[in-house]
Amino acid sequence: MEVLNEPPPTTSPWEYSPDERYYDELASAPGKIRPHWRKLMSSLESIGQQDIARRWDEAGRLIRENGVTYNVYGDPHGTDRPWPLDPIPMIVSISDWEHIEAAVAQRAKLLNSILCDLYGPQRLLKEHHLPPELLFGNSGYLRNCQGLKVPGDIRLHFYAADIARSPDGQWWVIADRTQAPSGAGYALENRLVSTSTLPDVFRAAQVQRLAQFFQTFRETMMELSPGRGENPRVVLLTPGPYNETYFEHSFLARYLGYTLVEGGDLTVRDNKVFLKTLGGLLPVDMILRRQDDNFCDPLELREDSKLGVPGLVHAVRAGNVAIANALGSGLAETPALSAFLPGLCRHLLYEKLKMPSVATWWCGQDDPLEFVAEHLGGLVIKSVAPAFGEHPVFGARLDAKQKQELMARIRLAPHRYVAQEQVALSTAPVWSDGGLLPRHLVVRVYAVPSGEGYKVMPGGLTRVTNSLDTLVVSVQRGGGSKDTWVLSDGQPHEFSLLRQSGQPLEVSRATFDLPSRMADNLFWLGRYMERVESAVRLARCLAPKLTQEVVPETSEAVHAVAEVLRRSAYIRDGAENLEQDLISMIFDSGKRYSIGWIVHEVRRVAWLLRERISTDAWRVLNRLDQDFSARRPSEPLQLLGATEVLDQAILTLAAFSGLVMESMTRGQGWHFLNIGRRMERAMQMVDLLRFGIGSKPTSNSARLAVLLEIADSSITYRSRYLTTMQTDLVLDLLLIDEGNPRSLAFQLKRLDEYITRLPETKNSARRSTESKFILSLVSSIRLVEIGDLIQLQEDGKWGALAAFLDRLAEDLRGLSATITSSYFTHSIPAQQLKRV
Amino acid sequence: MTYRATHITTYSYSSSVSICHNEVHLHPRRTQRQSVRRSDLKVEPAPNYIHRHNDYFGNPVSYFAILGAHNKLVVTSESIVDVTPFELPGAGLTAPWEVVRDEVAMHETSESLDAFQYLFDSPHVKSGPEFAEFALPSFPEGRCIFEAAKDLCHRIGMEFKYDKGSTSISTPAEEVLRARHGVCQDFAHVMIGCLRALRIPARYVSGYLRSGPKMIGAEASHAWVSAYCSGTGWIDFDPTNDVTPSGNHLTVAWGRDYSDVTPVRGVAIGGGEQTIAVAVSVVPTLE
Repeated sequence: MEVLNEPPPTTSPWEYSPDERYYDELASAPGKIRPHWRKLMSSLESIGQQDIARRWDEAGRLIRENGVTYNVYGDPHGTDRPWPLDPIPMIVSISDWEHIEAAVAQRAKLLNSILCDLYGPQRLLKEHHLPPELLFGNSGYLRNCQGLKVPGDIRLHFYAADIARSPDGQWWVIADRTQAPSGAGYALENRLVSTSTLPDVFRAAQVQRLAQFFQTFRETMMELSPGRGENPRVVLLTPGPYNETYFEHSFLARYLGYTLVEGGDLTVRDNKVFLKTLGGLLPVDMILRRQDDNFCDPLELREDSKLGVPGLVHAVRAGNVAIANALGSGLAETPALSAFLPGLCRHLLYEKLKMPSVATWWCGQDDPLEFVAEHLGGLVIKSVAPAFGEHPVFGARLDAKQKQELMARIRLAPHRYVAQEQVALSTAPVWSDGGLLPRHLVVRVYAVPSGEGYKVMPGGLTRVTNSLDTLVVSVQRGGGSKDTWVLSDGQPHEFSLLRQSGQPLEVSRATFDLPSRMADNLFWLGRYMERVESAVRLARCLAPKLTQEVVPETSEAVHAVAEVLRRSAYIRDGAENLEQDLISMIFDSGKRYSIGWIVHEVRRVAWLLRERISTDAWRVLNRLDQDFSARRPSEPLQLLGATEVLDQAILTLAAFSGLVMESMTRGQGWHFLNIGRRMERAMQMVDLLRFGIGSKPTSNSARLAVLLEIADSSITYRSRYLTTMQTDLVLDLLLIDEGNPRSLAFQLKRLDEYITRLPETKNSARRSTESKFILSLVSSIRLVEIGDLIQLQEDGKWGALAAFLDRLAEDLRGLSATITSSYFTHSIPAQQLKRV
Repeated sequence: MTYRATHITTYSYSSSVSICHNEVHLHPRRTQRQSVRRSDLKVEPAPNYIHRHNDYFGNPVSYFAILGAHNKLVVTSESIVDVTPFELPGAGLTAPWEVVRDEVAMHETSESLDAFQYLFDSPHVKSGPEFAEFALPSFPEGRCIFEAAKDLCHRIGMEFKYDKGSTSISTPAEEVLRARHGVCQDFAHVMIGCLRALRIPARYVSGYLRSGPKMIGAEASHAWVSAYCSGTGWIDFDPTNDVTPSGNHLTVAWGRDYSDVTPVRGVAIGGGEQTIAVAVSVVPTLE
């Protein structure tokens, strides 16, 4: 949870002094609490400040553990920030809510009708109800979507309005969200947190529940999906983990039971959309999109989009898939529309607009333009279709010269600009250091269509400013959020879409639907995890030996490990100073072949799999990352410090892999993770022997001992053979012994099991290429005679051993390549064809 | 006159393409002065899916996808088209340009409302004062729209240097206006920007020229401009050749600018380096 940086209030902690210039939600006058807040305030008082603070620490823990985060763009530490939630809910009275509910439902219906007309017959233009500039001069108007049919004439499947209250107590709509409104998932999460920290207060307050709203949404989506009737497949399309609200995408997908996909997971075949899964292509009927419409198809919409699905617009045109909200619906977000809504509402719905929009002047007409020129100082200037990252301009902050420049710019293309009044947002108390401070707020309210018009979520996402001096409400810019309690007069009925805790979240179909991209990432997570471990074991084995007195015994072992490190490219060829190279491998995390680098890779891949990695595993992984980003210790203590880091890393790694392996359902995802691990471990073992065993027999047992140590098999060896070091016995234990969990044979046996269960092999009678590879590997290990391998040639070297190990290494690489090409081919990037 | 138009586009890839999705504007559209007897599309390797529809502007579009691995893509369109020569309006017979501008601004008729949408910025053409400044000498008060636009077309043809290597398909019109050189697309974009700056609707026409040595832009896709002239409708101007297209220009498609009517666009998975070759021939036929 974010701590608000404010000096503690000097007066009594419960004293709350709102600013008189604004409407305060809690108090109508100093000390005079509005009736619908009284129950809450008296409950909070009886709980007491200390207890609230304690409960709120608990809430903060919940938020972190549930991984409720948002990403801040352009901030290197911005990924993964905890979601800022204030403990005091925003309370909406029954009568206020009746008004809001009716008004937001009406507005959703109105905007849907407007979109249907503009993307259809365009009567509103022909009959002069709407200036055509609003359409043709707006980059949000997607011409390719003109005339596209949508099931049930619904273009807005999920609508949101930002509403705010002015000093006279009147509610205003200050913005419409018709593209892919965010925040509903955070609203749900806020509710989960507030009901678990303030359960008693919540129950007593008779608050309306949210789950029914999402149930309605699911029913509507089913109703409006084209074609397949009974059990349509709905996917939630996300731009990916780097998006600001990625947490919400994965949360909502889970909550609604939809598969979370990125553009690359979908493909269009014969005007139909399919999800690429390990089990093959599965038809998709409906796409709930969380990315802007012009990014959805690089063929027909924005060609620079890396997030889209080529051919998607064609599939929509053919009526084979529906997209929610419909492509092109972003058009209705233009603030210019607000100026025309009262008239359009009368014309289209024969009703008066129930809640006014914030006063809006579209500069494309002469009178409003002159008004704006005269009153610029009191207005906010916006673009008709703001580009990403474009912020409104506050007239009050401009000097005379800047105002002149702005007006000149507006007059060049007046239809591109809108001026709006700034609403003096109402305030509500936020919790700060045990006291209450007034902060401005905006409530985002959501509506979805149903059989009987639009249904409004009884609640919403309340966002608050981080100081009283700003009227810009934005979590991106450091604001906070509140749960929103809509009061009811009856006892709300209990209803939840969430599975009871303790049961696995993955629904049975979701494992079947595992997108190939996820399998790819899981495979590499497995490989990198294992690679880190192997690198750490090598380094940890070498470090203490460098401090010991040099005797022939240790020097032979040091040579062996150095050779393995060198040929695995962790240290330079022909390095003079082994110690410095080792230190660099451990502490220079920016270096391509350092351990820290591989740890970064683990973290990068794990990030792409976030929804499948538990919070605990994340925490462990972050610690590992920190360990290897630590500064090098000073000179005499370097090796000692290195050993400490490495010892710790072995434990951390064990914890991480344990958490990942144990918290994942045994679906195909788990198999790919394991295939990756086993594959890497097998490769590392073969390399260890190839590079470390030497080319001829030696009487020096230290070399063999160090190999056993790196392979974590010393104890097994000693328990069997005591202290006698013999090459054939070591090779037997590390290569052939299926009972040794570190042996090559053990890895191959597991690989065989996992590969047999992969969809391709299971579904087809003929053996897949990867099965053939694994069979060949397994049988060469089973049939080999160690004695033959270490038969001496005339030059006194082992003849067959090196060739045998080289062949194993080659087969393993072949197996990895085969799995990659059978299951992950789509990861090759798409490109636009050149044009002339 | 009846023409046979053949347009062959060949893509060669350094590594194999596993899937590609393409959209092509290669079928000449029907216009008032042009009728299409047939227009066929051949794609090699054979596409798994191919569909034809009309786009927003009424241009025929083919969409196809190839799912098998391939190192080369050849798209051939062949069309038989009848073109009726255009009779140029006599001097002073079209409306003064201000009248056209004001009529479109009012957009009372469905025709002027349709023309209205060609006043706005489009991906390749962001109009502005510098375009108006360049255009104004051709637009003295009261001059008839045809004469004014023809003069503008002439000035671009004379003052801009045709230079193949100087621009790419992504060069914005402002830059071409500053540098005064480019190819047919660039000249068309500049002229569109000029007309729009004066609030005269202008659209981009993609098409072909009759093969022969006389004009620039034959043997490839060509591009020119169409300006809205109220009562007379839309009149074409080819700034690259400084002519008013009559019987030797064959219209394929029109839109706001190049991006609406790109002859071949596509998204390919894989492919590595691509090279592209285009061959166009337009010859009279007795068919």
